[in-house]
Amino acid sequence: MIEISHAIVGHQRPLIEIEDLVLEKGKVYAIIGRNGGGKSTLLNSLLGHVPLISGNMKIDGMDVHSLRRSILAKHVAFVASKFDGIEYLKVREYISLGKFGSSSILGQLPKEEAEHVEQLLEELSLLPLAGKFTDRISDGERQLAAVARALAQDTPVLLLDEPTAFLDYKNKKRMMEKLVEIAEQKNKCIVLSTHDLELAMDNSLIFLAVHRGRLEVIERLEKERFSYYFE
Amino acid sequence: MSVTKQIGWLIIGLLALFGAACLHVLSGETAVSLGVMKDAIFQYDPSVMDHVLFREFRLSRTLTAILAGSSLALSGMLMQTLFNNPLAGPYILGINSGASLFVGLLLMSGISIGGAQLGIVGAALVGAFVSCIFMIGLSGYLRNQISLLLAGMMFGSFTSAIVSILQQLSGAEALKAFTMWSMGTLQQVSFEELYIFAGTVSVGILLAFSMGKYLNVLVLGEKPARLLGVNIVRTRIIILIAVAILAGVTTAFCGPIAFVGMAVPNLTRLVFKTQQHHLLIGMNLIIGALFVLICDALILNWAPVLPIPLNAFTSLIGAPFVLLILMRRVR
Repeated sequence: MIEISHAIVGHQRPLIEIEDLVLEKGKVYAIIGRNGGGKSTLLNSLLGHVPLISGNMKIDGMDVHSLRRSILAKHVAFVASKFDGIEYLKVREYISLGKFGSSSILGQLPKEEAEHVEQLLEELSLLPLAGKFTDRISDGERQLAAVARALAQDTPVLLLDEPTAFLDYKNKKRMMEKLVEIAEQKNKCIVLSTHDLELAMDNSLIFLAVHRGRLEVIERLEKERFSYYFE
Repeated sequence: MSVTKQIGWLIIGLLALFGAACLHVLSGETAVSLGVMKDAIFQYDPSVMDHVLFREFRLSRTLTAILAGSSLALSGMLMQTLFNNPLAGPYILGINSGASLFVGLLLMSGISIGGAQLGIVGAALVGAFVSCIFMIGLSGYLRNQISLLLAGMMFGSFTSAIVSILQQLSGAEALKAFTMWSMGTLQQVSFEELYIFAGTVSVGILLAFSMGKYLNVLVLGEKPARLLGVNIVRTRIIILIAVAILAGVTTAFCGPIAFVGMAVPNLTRLVFKTQQHHLLIGMNLIIGALFVLICDALILNWAPVLPIPLNAFTSLIGAPFVLLILMRRVR
Protein backbone atom coordinates (compact mmCIF):
# COMPACT_ATOMS: atom_id res chain seq x y z
CA MET A 1 0.00 0.00 0.00
CA ILE A 2 1.22 3.50 -0.86
CA GLU A 3 0.35 6.56 1.24
CA ILE A 4 1.29 10.05 0.17
CA SER A 5 0.44 13.14 2.20
CA HIS A 6 1.15 16.86 1.81
CA ALA A 7 3.80 16.00 -0.72
CA ILE A 8 5.48 18.16 -3.31
CA VAL A 9 7.13 16.06 -6.01
CA GLY A 10 9.80 17.49 -8.26
CA HIS A 11 13.52 17.84 -8.88
CA GLN A 12 14.48 21.41 -8.02
CA ARG A 13 11.21 23.03 -8.90
CA PRO A 14 7.88 21.59 -7.78
CA LEU A 15 6.06 19.51 -10.42
CA ILE A 16 3.14 17.87 -8.65
CA GLU A 17 1.42 18.71 -5.41
CA ILE A 18 -0.31 15.78 -3.72
CA GLU A 19 -2.55 16.62 -0.77
CA ASP A 20 -3.59 13.15 0.29
CA LEU A 21 -3.43 9.92 -1.67
CA VAL A 22 -3.81 6.27 -0.75
CA LEU A 23 -3.17 3.54 -3.32
CA GLU A 24 -4.49 0.14 -2.33
CA LYS A 25 -3.56 -3.45 -2.97
CA GLY A 26 -5.45 -5.42 -5.58
CA LYS A 27 -5.86 -2.42 -7.87
CA VAL A 28 -4.12 -1.01 -10.91
CA TYR A 29 -3.53 2.72 -11.17
CA ALA A 30 -2.60 4.54 -14.35
CA ILE A 31 -0.69 7.80 -14.15
CA ILE A 32 -1.62 9.92 -17.14
CA GLY A 33 -0.82 13.43 -18.29
CA ARG A 34 1.16 15.38 -20.86
CA ASN A 35 4.87 14.82 -21.42
CA GLY A 36 7.07 16.69 -18.99
CA GLY A 37 4.24 16.93 -16.49
CA GLY A 38 6.03 14.80 -13.92
CA LYS A 39 4.82 11.22 -14.48
CA SER A 40 8.32 9.77 -14.51
CA THR A 41 9.43 11.99 -11.65
CA LEU A 42 6.56 10.66 -9.55
CA LEU A 43 7.57 7.06 -10.34
CA ASN A 44 11.20 7.85 -9.60
CA SER A 45 10.15 9.41 -6.35
CA LEU A 46 8.25 6.27 -5.39
CA LEU A 47 11.40 4.28 -6.19
CA GLY A 48 13.42 6.45 -3.83
CA HIS A 49 15.51 8.00 -6.62
CA VAL A 50 14.09 11.51 -6.40
CA PRO A 51 13.58 12.89 -2.90
CA LEU A 52 10.40 14.82 -2.13
CA ILE A 53 10.64 18.59 -1.89
CA SER A 54 8.37 18.29 1.12
CA GLY A 55 5.81 15.95 2.64
CA ASN A 56 5.57 12.21 3.19
CA MET A 57 5.62 9.17 0.99
CA LYS A 58 5.16 5.77 2.59
CA ILE A 59 5.14 2.24 1.24
CA ASP A 60 3.73 -0.40 3.60
CA GLY A 61 3.94 2.18 6.35
CA MET A 62 7.63 2.94 5.85
CA ASP A 63 9.10 6.18 4.62
CA VAL A 64 10.43 5.54 1.10
CA HIS A 65 13.25 8.06 1.22
CA SER A 66 14.87 6.95 4.44
CA LEU A 67 14.78 3.19 3.77
CA ARG A 68 17.87 1.23 2.86
CA ARG A 69 18.01 -0.02 -0.74
CA SER A 70 18.10 -3.66 0.27
CA ILE A 71 14.92 -3.21 2.34
CA LEU A 72 13.11 -1.05 -0.20
CA ALA A 73 13.79 -3.80 -2.76
CA LYS A 74 11.56 -6.11 -0.70
CA HIS A 75 8.62 -3.69 -1.01
CA VAL A 76 8.81 -2.14 -4.48
CA ALA A 77 9.72 -3.66 -7.82
CA PHE A 78 10.11 -1.71 -11.03
CA VAL A 79 9.74 -2.44 -14.74
CA ALA A 80 11.27 0.02 -17.20
CA SER A 81 9.49 0.87 -20.45
CA LYS A 82 12.01 -1.04 -22.50
CA PHE A 83 14.28 -3.99 -21.79
CA ASP A 84 16.65 -4.62 -24.66
CA GLY A 85 17.73 -8.06 -23.55
CA ILE A 86 21.22 -9.10 -22.59
CA GLU A 87 23.54 -11.27 -24.66
CA TYR A 88 23.84 -14.84 -23.34
CA LEU A 89 21.44 -14.21 -20.45
CA LYS A 90 18.64 -16.78 -20.51
CA VAL A 91 15.04 -15.91 -19.67
CA ARG A 92 14.98 -18.19 -16.63
CA GLU A 93 18.26 -16.73 -15.32
CA TYR A 94 16.99 -13.22 -15.94
CA ILE A 95 13.81 -13.82 -13.95
CA SER A 96 15.83 -15.45 -11.16
CA LEU A 97 17.83 -12.22 -10.81
CA GLY A 98 14.67 -10.76 -9.28
CA LYS A 99 15.45 -13.01 -6.33
CA PHE A 100 18.94 -11.53 -5.89
CA GLY A 101 18.21 -10.71 -2.26
CA SER A 102 17.70 -14.34 -1.26
CA SER A 103 20.41 -15.96 -3.38
CA SER A 104 23.45 -17.62 -1.82
CA ILE A 105 26.99 -16.35 -2.27
CA LEU A 106 27.30 -18.70 -5.23
CA GLY A 107 24.16 -17.20 -6.75
CA GLN A 108 22.07 -20.32 -6.04
CA LEU A 109 18.41 -19.92 -4.99
CA PRO A 110 16.74 -21.76 -2.11
CA LYS A 111 14.38 -24.49 -3.31
CA GLU A 112 11.10 -22.67 -2.69
CA GLU A 113 12.39 -19.54 -4.43
CA ALA A 114 13.50 -21.56 -7.46
CA GLU A 115 10.02 -23.11 -7.52
CA HIS A 116 8.46 -19.66 -7.45
CA VAL A 117 10.45 -18.75 -10.56
CA GLU A 118 9.11 -21.86 -12.31
CA GLN A 119 5.60 -20.95 -11.24
CA LEU A 120 5.97 -17.43 -12.69
CA LEU A 121 7.30 -18.85 -15.96
CA GLU A 122 4.19 -21.01 -16.11
CA GLU A 123 1.74 -18.25 -15.18
CA LEU A 124 3.07 -15.80 -17.75
CA SER A 125 3.30 -18.54 -20.42
CA LEU A 126 7.06 -18.08 -20.62
CA LEU A 127 8.00 -21.74 -20.07
CA PRO A 128 8.74 -22.41 -23.77
CA LEU A 129 11.14 -19.45 -23.73
CA ALA A 130 12.83 -20.22 -20.41
CA GLY A 131 16.03 -21.51 -22.04
CA LYS A 132 16.26 -18.81 -24.71
CA PHE A 133 18.56 -15.80 -24.58
CA THR A 134 16.82 -12.56 -23.61
CA ASP A 135 18.13 -10.74 -26.67
CA ARG A 136 16.73 -13.38 -29.01
CA ILE A 137 13.01 -13.12 -28.19
CA SER A 138 10.35 -10.66 -29.36
CA ASP A 139 9.69 -7.26 -27.73
CA GLY A 140 6.41 -8.48 -26.29
CA GLU A 141 8.00 -11.60 -24.82
CA ARG A 142 10.82 -9.53 -23.37
CA GLN A 143 8.45 -7.10 -21.70
CA LEU A 144 6.56 -10.05 -20.22
CA ALA A 145 9.85 -11.47 -18.96
CA ALA A 146 10.64 -8.11 -17.36
CA VAL A 147 7.29 -8.22 -15.56
CA ALA A 148 8.06 -11.76 -14.42
CA ARG A 149 11.45 -10.57 -13.15
CA ALA A 150 9.73 -7.86 -11.11
CA LEU A 151 7.15 -10.36 -9.80
CA ALA A 152 9.99 -12.67 -8.76
CA GLN A 153 11.04 -9.89 -6.41
CA ASP A 154 7.80 -10.74 -4.59
CA THR A 155 6.96 -7.19 -3.51
CA PRO A 156 3.51 -5.84 -2.55
CA VAL A 157 4.00 -2.83 -4.84
CA LEU A 158 4.83 -2.98 -8.53
CA LEU A 159 5.70 0.14 -10.55
CA LEU A 160 5.86 0.20 -14.34
CA ASP A 161 7.05 3.04 -16.55
CA GLU A 162 4.96 3.02 -19.76
CA PRO A 163 4.94 -0.79 -19.96
CA THR A 164 3.03 -0.79 -23.25
CA ALA A 165 4.92 2.00 -25.05
CA PHE A 166 6.99 -0.23 -27.32
CA LEU A 167 4.49 -3.02 -27.94
CA ASP A 168 2.18 -3.66 -30.86
CA TYR A 169 -1.57 -3.50 -30.32
CA LYS A 170 -2.08 -7.19 -29.54
CA ASN A 171 0.74 -7.24 -27.02
CA LYS A 172 -0.38 -3.94 -25.46
CA LYS A 173 -3.79 -5.44 -24.84
CA ARG A 174 -2.38 -8.67 -23.47
CA MET A 175 0.00 -6.81 -21.17
CA MET A 176 -2.73 -4.60 -19.68
CA GLU A 177 -5.06 -7.56 -19.09
CA LYS A 178 -2.26 -9.54 -17.50
CA LEU A 179 -1.44 -6.70 -15.11
CA VAL A 180 -5.06 -6.42 -13.96
CA GLU A 181 -5.16 -10.18 -13.46
CA ILE A 182 -1.93 -10.08 -11.44
CA ALA A 183 -3.17 -7.23 -9.22
CA GLU A 184 -6.36 -9.11 -8.41
CA GLN A 185 -4.98 -12.61 -8.02
CA LYS A 186 -1.78 -11.73 -6.20
CA ASN A 187 -3.27 -8.79 -4.31
CA LYS A 188 -0.65 -6.32 -5.47
CA CYS A 189 -0.74 -2.57 -5.75
CA ILE A 190 0.25 -1.81 -9.34
CA VAL A 191 1.03 1.69 -10.53
CA LEU A 192 1.93 2.37 -14.14
CA SER A 193 2.35 5.41 -16.34
CA THR A 194 0.81 5.28 -19.77
CA HIS A 195 -0.38 7.13 -22.86
CA ASP A 196 -2.67 4.28 -23.91
CA LEU A 197 -5.78 5.85 -22.40
CA GLU A 198 -8.42 3.78 -24.15
CA LEU A 199 -6.71 0.55 -23.28
CA ALA A 200 -6.50 1.65 -19.67
CA MET A 201 -10.19 2.58 -19.75
CA ASP A 202 -11.19 -0.76 -21.27
CA ASN A 203 -9.52 -2.48 -18.34
CA SER A 204 -11.12 -0.08 -15.85
CA LEU A 205 -7.88 1.13 -14.33
CA ILE A 206 -8.07 3.97 -11.84
CA PHE A 207 -6.60 7.11 -13.32
CA LEU A 208 -4.15 9.39 -11.58
CA ALA A 209 -4.20 12.44 -13.80
CA VAL A 210 -1.28 14.82 -13.50
CA HIS A 211 -2.74 18.15 -14.50
CA ARG A 212 -1.60 21.70 -13.82
CA GLY A 213 0.67 20.67 -11.00
CA ARG A 214 -1.92 18.60 -9.20
CA LEU A 215 -2.83 14.94 -9.06
CA GLU A 216 -6.46 14.07 -9.62
CA VAL A 217 -7.88 10.62 -8.91
CA ILE A 218 -10.50 9.63 -11.48
CA GLU A 219 -12.42 6.40 -11.00
CA ARG A 220 -14.14 6.64 -14.37
CA LEU A 221 -12.65 8.73 -17.12
CA GLU A 222 -14.97 10.08 -19.83
CA LYS A 223 -13.61 9.96 -23.34
CA GLU A 224 -14.64 13.58 -23.89
CA ARG A 225 -12.38 14.67 -21.07
CA PHE A 226 -9.21 13.15 -22.60
CA SER A 227 -7.89 16.30 -24.18
CA TYR A 228 -8.57 18.33 -21.06
CA TYR A 229 -5.88 16.43 -19.17
CA PHE A 230 -3.33 17.00 -21.90
CA GLU A 231 -3.63 20.77 -22.14
CA MET B 1 24.45 -24.69 -17.75
CA SER B 2 24.04 -27.44 -15.21
CA VAL B 3 26.49 -27.88 -12.35
CA THR B 4 27.79 -31.22 -13.62
CA LYS B 5 28.41 -29.74 -17.05
CA GLN B 6 30.25 -26.82 -15.47
CA ILE B 7 32.46 -29.18 -13.48
CA GLY B 8 33.07 -31.15 -16.67
CA TRP B 9 34.29 -28.03 -18.46
CA LEU B 10 36.43 -27.12 -15.49
CA ILE B 11 38.12 -30.54 -15.58
CA ILE B 12 38.69 -30.34 -19.34
CA GLY B 13 40.13 -26.85 -18.88
CA LEU B 14 42.48 -27.95 -16.12
CA LEU B 15 43.71 -30.89 -18.21
CA ALA B 16 44.39 -28.58 -21.16
CA LEU B 17 46.18 -26.22 -18.79
CA PHE B 18 48.35 -29.05 -17.50
CA GLY B 19 49.19 -30.03 -21.09
CA ALA B 20 50.09 -26.47 -22.05
CA ALA B 21 52.19 -26.09 -18.91
CA CYS B 22 54.15 -29.24 -19.82
CA LEU B 23 54.63 -27.93 -23.36
CA HIS B 24 55.83 -24.60 -21.97
CA VAL B 25 58.22 -26.05 -19.45
CA LEU B 26 59.82 -28.16 -22.21
CA SER B 27 60.25 -25.15 -24.50
CA GLY B 28 63.57 -23.38 -24.42
CA GLU B 29 67.03 -23.28 -25.86
CA THR B 30 68.57 -26.08 -23.85
CA ALA B 31 66.94 -29.46 -23.49
CA VAL B 32 66.04 -30.66 -20.02
CA SER B 33 65.67 -34.36 -19.39
CA LEU B 34 62.50 -35.65 -17.77
CA GLY B 35 64.58 -37.17 -14.97
CA VAL B 36 66.11 -33.81 -14.05
CA MET B 37 62.65 -32.22 -14.18
CA LYS B 38 61.19 -34.81 -11.84
CA ASP B 39 64.03 -34.53 -9.37
CA ALA B 40 64.06 -30.74 -9.47
CA ILE B 41 60.39 -30.69 -8.54
CA PHE B 42 60.17 -33.52 -6.02
CA GLN B 43 63.72 -33.78 -4.62
CA TYR B 44 65.07 -30.28 -5.03
CA ASP B 45 68.76 -29.95 -4.22
CA PRO B 46 70.16 -26.41 -4.37
CA SER B 47 73.70 -27.72 -4.87
CA VAL B 48 72.82 -29.35 -8.19
CA MET B 49 73.21 -26.80 -10.97
CA ASP B 50 70.61 -28.43 -13.24
CA HIS B 51 68.01 -28.26 -10.48
CA VAL B 52 68.63 -24.57 -9.83
CA LEU B 53 68.57 -23.75 -13.53
CA PHE B 54 65.35 -25.67 -14.05
CA ARG B 55 63.62 -24.13 -11.07
CA GLU B 56 64.74 -20.54 -11.59
CA PHE B 57 64.49 -20.38 -15.37
CA ARG B 58 61.98 -22.97 -16.53
CA LEU B 59 59.52 -23.68 -13.77
CA SER B 60 59.31 -20.11 -12.51
CA ARG B 61 58.64 -18.84 -16.04
CA THR B 62 55.88 -21.39 -16.55
CA LEU B 63 54.23 -20.53 -13.26
CA THR B 64 54.60 -16.82 -13.97
CA ALA B 65 52.88 -17.31 -17.34
CA ILE B 66 49.97 -19.05 -15.61
CA LEU B 67 49.62 -16.38 -12.94
CA ALA B 68 49.95 -13.49 -15.39
CA GLY B 69 47.46 -14.92 -17.90
CA SER B 70 44.90 -15.83 -15.24
CA SER B 71 44.98 -12.53 -13.44
CA LEU B 72 44.92 -10.37 -16.55
CA ALA B 73 41.98 -12.28 -18.01
CA LEU B 74 40.05 -12.12 -14.75
CA SER B 75 40.70 -8.41 -14.25
CA GLY B 76 39.52 -7.79 -17.80
CA MET B 77 36.32 -9.74 -17.20
CA LEU B 78 35.63 -7.80 -14.02
CA MET B 79 36.06 -4.50 -15.86
CA GLN B 80 33.89 -5.58 -18.78
CA THR B 81 31.01 -6.53 -16.52
CA LEU B 82 31.41 -3.54 -14.24
CA PHE B 83 31.49 -0.99 -17.06
CA ASN B 84 29.04 -3.00 -19.17
CA ASN B 85 31.54 -2.72 -21.96
CA PRO B 86 33.01 -5.58 -24.01
CA LEU B 87 35.98 -3.40 -24.92
CA ALA B 88 37.13 -2.69 -21.39
CA GLY B 89 40.35 -4.18 -20.09
CA PRO B 90 43.27 -3.27 -17.86
CA TYR B 91 45.46 -2.25 -20.79
CA ILE B 92 42.93 -0.15 -22.68
CA LEU B 93 41.63 1.60 -19.58
CA GLY B 94 45.11 2.72 -18.66
CA ILE B 95 46.02 0.56 -15.67
CA ASN B 96 49.25 -0.39 -17.42
CA SER B 97 49.88 3.26 -18.28
CA GLY B 98 49.55 4.26 -14.65
CA ALA B 99 51.90 1.47 -13.62
CA SER B 100 54.38 2.47 -16.36
CA LEU B 101 54.33 6.08 -15.23
CA PHE B 102 55.16 5.20 -11.65
CA VAL B 103 57.81 2.67 -12.60
CA GLY B 104 59.30 5.30 -14.93
CA LEU B 105 59.28 7.90 -12.19
CA LEU B 106 60.99 5.50 -9.81
CA LEU B 107 63.66 4.17 -12.19
CA MET B 108 64.53 7.45 -13.80
CA SER B 109 64.43 9.66 -10.79
CA GLY B 110 67.27 7.60 -9.38
CA ILE B 111 65.61 7.13 -6.03
CA SER B 112 66.04 3.59 -4.79
CA ILE B 113 63.53 2.09 -2.43
CA GLY B 114 64.40 -1.32 -1.07
CA GLY B 115 65.80 -3.67 -3.70
CA ALA B 116 65.55 -2.67 -7.35
CA GLN B 117 63.00 -5.37 -8.17
CA LEU B 118 60.93 -4.72 -5.07
CA GLY B 119 60.90 -1.00 -5.88
CA ILE B 120 59.53 -1.65 -9.37
CA VAL B 121 56.83 -3.92 -7.99
CA GLY B 122 55.76 -1.35 -5.42
CA ALA B 123 55.76 1.52 -7.90
CA ALA B 124 53.72 -0.44 -10.45
CA LEU B 125 51.16 -1.40 -7.81
CA VAL B 126 50.75 2.21 -6.69
CA GLY B 127 50.44 3.31 -10.32
CA ALA B 128 47.79 0.67 -11.02
CA PHE B 129 45.76 1.75 -8.01
CA VAL B 130 46.01 5.43 -8.91
CA SER B 131 44.80 4.86 -12.46
CA CYS B 132 42.03 2.60 -11.17
CA ILE B 133 40.78 5.37 -8.89
CA PHE B 134 41.02 7.80 -11.80
CA MET B 135 38.87 5.45 -13.91
CA ILE B 136 36.28 5.04 -11.13
CA GLY B 137 35.94 8.80 -11.05
CA LEU B 138 35.67 9.13 -14.82
CA SER B 139 33.20 6.31 -15.26
CA GLY B 140 30.69 8.32 -13.24
CA TYR B 141 30.67 10.97 -15.99
CA LEU B 142 31.32 8.93 -19.11
CA ARG B 143 28.35 6.65 -19.65
CA ASN B 144 29.07 5.95 -23.28
CA GLN B 145 31.04 2.79 -24.04
CA ILE B 146 33.41 4.42 -26.49
CA SER B 147 34.06 7.61 -24.54
CA LEU B 148 35.37 5.70 -21.54
CA LEU B 149 37.83 3.92 -23.83
CA LEU B 150 38.87 7.20 -25.41
CA ALA B 151 39.46 8.58 -21.94
CA GLY B 152 41.65 5.56 -21.18
CA MET B 153 43.63 6.19 -24.34
CA MET B 154 44.03 9.89 -23.49
CA PHE B 155 45.28 8.89 -20.08
CA GLY B 156 47.73 6.53 -21.82
CA SER B 157 49.01 9.26 -24.17
CA PHE B 158 49.39 11.66 -21.29
CA THR B 159 51.40 9.26 -19.15
CA SER B 160 53.57 8.15 -22.07
CA ALA B 161 54.36 11.80 -22.79
CA ILE B 162 55.60 12.20 -19.23
CA VAL B 163 57.53 8.95 -19.55
CA SER B 164 59.24 10.25 -22.75
CA ILE B 165 60.29 13.42 -20.97
CA LEU B 166 61.68 11.32 -18.13
CA GLN B 167 63.55 9.18 -20.66
CA GLN B 168 65.16 12.29 -22.16
CA LEU B 169 66.38 13.35 -18.76
CA SER B 170 67.66 10.02 -17.51
CA GLY B 171 70.90 8.13 -17.87
CA ALA B 172 71.63 5.02 -19.91
CA GLU B 173 71.31 2.56 -17.04
CA ALA B 174 67.86 3.73 -15.95
CA LEU B 175 66.71 3.94 -19.54
CA LYS B 176 67.70 0.36 -20.17
CA ALA B 177 66.01 -0.90 -17.01
CA PHE B 178 62.78 0.83 -17.95
CA THR B 179 62.83 -0.33 -21.56
CA MET B 180 63.38 -3.91 -20.47
CA TRP B 181 60.48 -3.71 -18.04
CA SER B 182 58.14 -2.11 -20.58
CA MET B 183 58.67 -4.87 -23.14
CA GLY B 184 57.00 -7.35 -20.85
CA THR B 185 58.73 -10.53 -19.81
CA LEU B 186 57.91 -13.58 -17.76
CA GLN B 187 61.54 -14.24 -16.92
CA GLN B 188 62.09 -11.62 -14.21
CA VAL B 189 60.27 -13.39 -11.41
CA SER B 190 62.46 -15.49 -9.12
CA PHE B 191 61.12 -18.60 -7.47
CA GLU B 192 60.93 -16.85 -4.10
CA GLU B 193 58.99 -13.89 -5.53
CA LEU B 194 56.50 -16.34 -6.99
CA TYR B 195 55.09 -16.88 -3.51
CA ILE B 196 54.30 -13.17 -3.19
CA PHE B 197 52.94 -13.09 -6.74
CA ALA B 198 50.73 -16.15 -6.23
CA GLY B 199 49.55 -14.98 -2.83
CA THR B 200 48.48 -11.58 -4.11
CA VAL B 201 46.75 -13.05 -7.16
CA SER B 202 44.86 -15.46 -4.88
CA VAL B 203 43.51 -12.54 -2.87
CA GLY B 204 42.26 -10.94 -6.08
CA ILE B 205 40.66 -14.21 -7.23
CA LEU B 206 38.90 -14.77 -3.89
CA LEU B 207 37.62 -11.20 -3.92
CA ALA B 208 36.30 -11.66 -7.46
CA PHE B 209 34.69 -14.97 -6.57
CA SER B 210 32.95 -13.49 -3.55
CA MET B 211 31.45 -10.85 -5.87
CA GLY B 212 30.11 -13.44 -8.32
CA LYS B 213 26.43 -12.96 -7.59
CA TYR B 214 26.81 -9.18 -7.72
CA LEU B 215 28.46 -9.48 -11.12
CA ASN B 216 25.49 -11.58 -12.27
CA VAL B 217 23.13 -8.72 -11.42
CA LEU B 218 25.40 -5.98 -12.75
CA VAL B 219 24.87 -7.20 -16.31
CA LEU B 220 21.39 -5.66 -16.02
CA GLY B 221 23.00 -2.24 -15.61
CA GLU B 222 23.55 -0.16 -12.51
CA LYS B 223 20.08 1.28 -12.06
CA PRO B 224 18.20 -2.04 -12.23
CA ALA B 225 20.82 -3.61 -9.97
CA ARG B 226 20.29 -0.86 -7.40
CA LEU B 227 16.53 -1.46 -7.52
CA LEU B 228 17.18 -5.10 -6.69
CA GLY B 229 18.91 -4.00 -3.51
CA VAL B 230 22.56 -3.92 -4.60
CA ASN B 231 24.75 -1.35 -2.88
CA ILE B 232 26.34 -0.06 -6.08
CA VAL B 233 29.08 2.12 -4.59
CA ARG B 234 30.37 -0.64 -2.33
CA THR B 235 30.15 -3.22 -5.13
CA ARG B 236 32.06 -0.98 -7.54
CA ILE B 237 34.81 -0.30 -5.04
CA ILE B 238 35.35 -3.95 -4.14
CA ILE B 239 35.43 -5.01 -7.79
CA LEU B 240 37.89 -2.28 -8.71
CA ILE B 241 40.12 -3.19 -5.78
CA ALA B 242 40.21 -6.73 -7.17
CA VAL B 243 41.02 -5.34 -10.62
CA ALA B 244 43.83 -3.16 -9.29
CA ILE B 245 45.31 -6.06 -7.31
CA LEU B 246 45.19 -8.50 -10.23
CA ALA B 247 46.28 -6.21 -13.05
CA GLY B 248 48.62 -4.23 -10.81
CA VAL B 249 50.62 -7.12 -9.42
CA THR B 250 50.95 -8.73 -12.85
CA THR B 251 52.13 -5.52 -14.47
CA ALA B 252 54.48 -5.05 -11.57
CA PHE B 253 56.18 -8.43 -11.99
CA CYS B 254 55.94 -8.90 -15.76
CA GLY B 255 55.68 -5.42 -17.21
CA PRO B 256 52.80 -4.36 -19.41
CA ILE B 257 51.20 -7.23 -21.34
CA ALA B 258 48.68 -5.94 -23.83
CA PHE B 259 45.25 -7.24 -24.86
CA VAL B 260 45.13 -10.48 -22.85
CA GLY B 261 42.76 -8.79 -20.39
CA MET B 262 40.49 -7.64 -23.16
CA ALA B 263 40.58 -10.54 -25.60
CA VAL B 264 40.31 -13.55 -23.26
CA PRO B 265 37.05 -12.56 -21.47
CA ASN B 266 35.38 -11.95 -24.83
CA LEU B 267 36.60 -15.29 -26.11
CA THR B 268 35.34 -17.00 -22.94
CA ARG B 269 31.88 -15.46 -23.18
CA LEU B 270 31.73 -16.36 -26.86
CA VAL B 271 32.60 -20.00 -26.18
CA PHE B 272 30.46 -20.59 -23.08
CA LYS B 273 27.56 -18.28 -23.96
CA THR B 274 26.66 -17.58 -20.38
CA GLN B 275 26.39 -14.75 -17.88
CA GLN B 276 26.93 -16.98 -14.84
CA HIS B 277 29.97 -15.28 -13.42
CA HIS B 278 31.18 -18.06 -11.16
CA LEU B 279 31.71 -20.20 -14.24
CA LEU B 280 33.09 -17.24 -16.22
CA ILE B 281 35.61 -16.49 -13.47
CA GLY B 282 36.86 -20.10 -13.47
CA MET B 283 37.07 -20.33 -17.25
CA ASN B 284 38.73 -16.92 -17.61
CA LEU B 285 41.44 -18.01 -15.19
CA ILE B 286 42.05 -21.16 -17.22
CA ILE B 287 41.80 -19.69 -20.70
CA GLY B 288 43.90 -16.67 -19.72
CA ALA B 289 46.64 -18.96 -18.43
CA LEU B 290 46.41 -21.12 -21.56
CA PHE B 291 46.64 -18.08 -23.82
CA VAL B 292 49.80 -16.69 -22.21
CA LEU B 293 51.39 -20.14 -21.88
CA ILE B 294 50.93 -20.81 -25.58
CA CYS B 295 52.11 -17.33 -26.64
CA ASP B 296 55.19 -17.63 -24.45
CA ALA B 297 55.92 -21.19 -25.59
CA LEU B 298 55.92 -19.92 -29.19
CA ILE B 299 58.18 -17.03 -28.20
CA LEU B 300 60.58 -19.46 -26.53
CA ASN B 301 60.66 -21.72 -29.56
CA TRP B 302 61.18 -18.89 -32.05
CA ALA B 303 63.67 -17.02 -29.91
CA PRO B 304 66.80 -18.38 -31.63
CA VAL B 305 65.53 -17.18 -35.01
CA LEU B 306 63.35 -14.20 -34.16
CA PRO B 307 63.22 -12.82 -30.62
CA ILE B 308 59.82 -11.20 -29.94
CA PRO B 309 58.96 -9.31 -26.74
CA LEU B 310 55.84 -10.73 -25.07
CA ASN B 311 54.03 -7.40 -25.10
CA ALA B 312 54.58 -7.09 -28.85
CA PHE B 313 53.39 -10.65 -29.47
CA THR B 314 50.14 -10.34 -27.52
CA SER B 315 49.49 -7.01 -29.29
CA LEU B 316 49.99 -8.65 -32.67
CA ILE B 317 47.27 -11.16 -31.83
CA GLY B 318 45.12 -8.90 -29.66
CA ALA B 319 44.76 -5.78 -31.80
CA PRO B 320 43.04 -7.53 -34.73
CA PHE B 321 40.80 -9.27 -32.20
CA VAL B 322 39.68 -5.89 -30.84
CA LEU B 323 38.78 -4.85 -34.37
CA LEU B 324 36.71 -8.00 -34.76
CA ILE B 325 34.79 -7.29 -31.57
CA LEU B 326 34.24 -3.68 -32.62
CA MET B 327 32.68 -4.87 -35.84
CA ARG B 328 30.62 -7.59 -34.24
CA ARG B 329 29.38 -6.13 -30.98
CA VAL B 330 29.74 -2.37 -30.88
CA ARG B 331 29.67 -1.24 -34.53
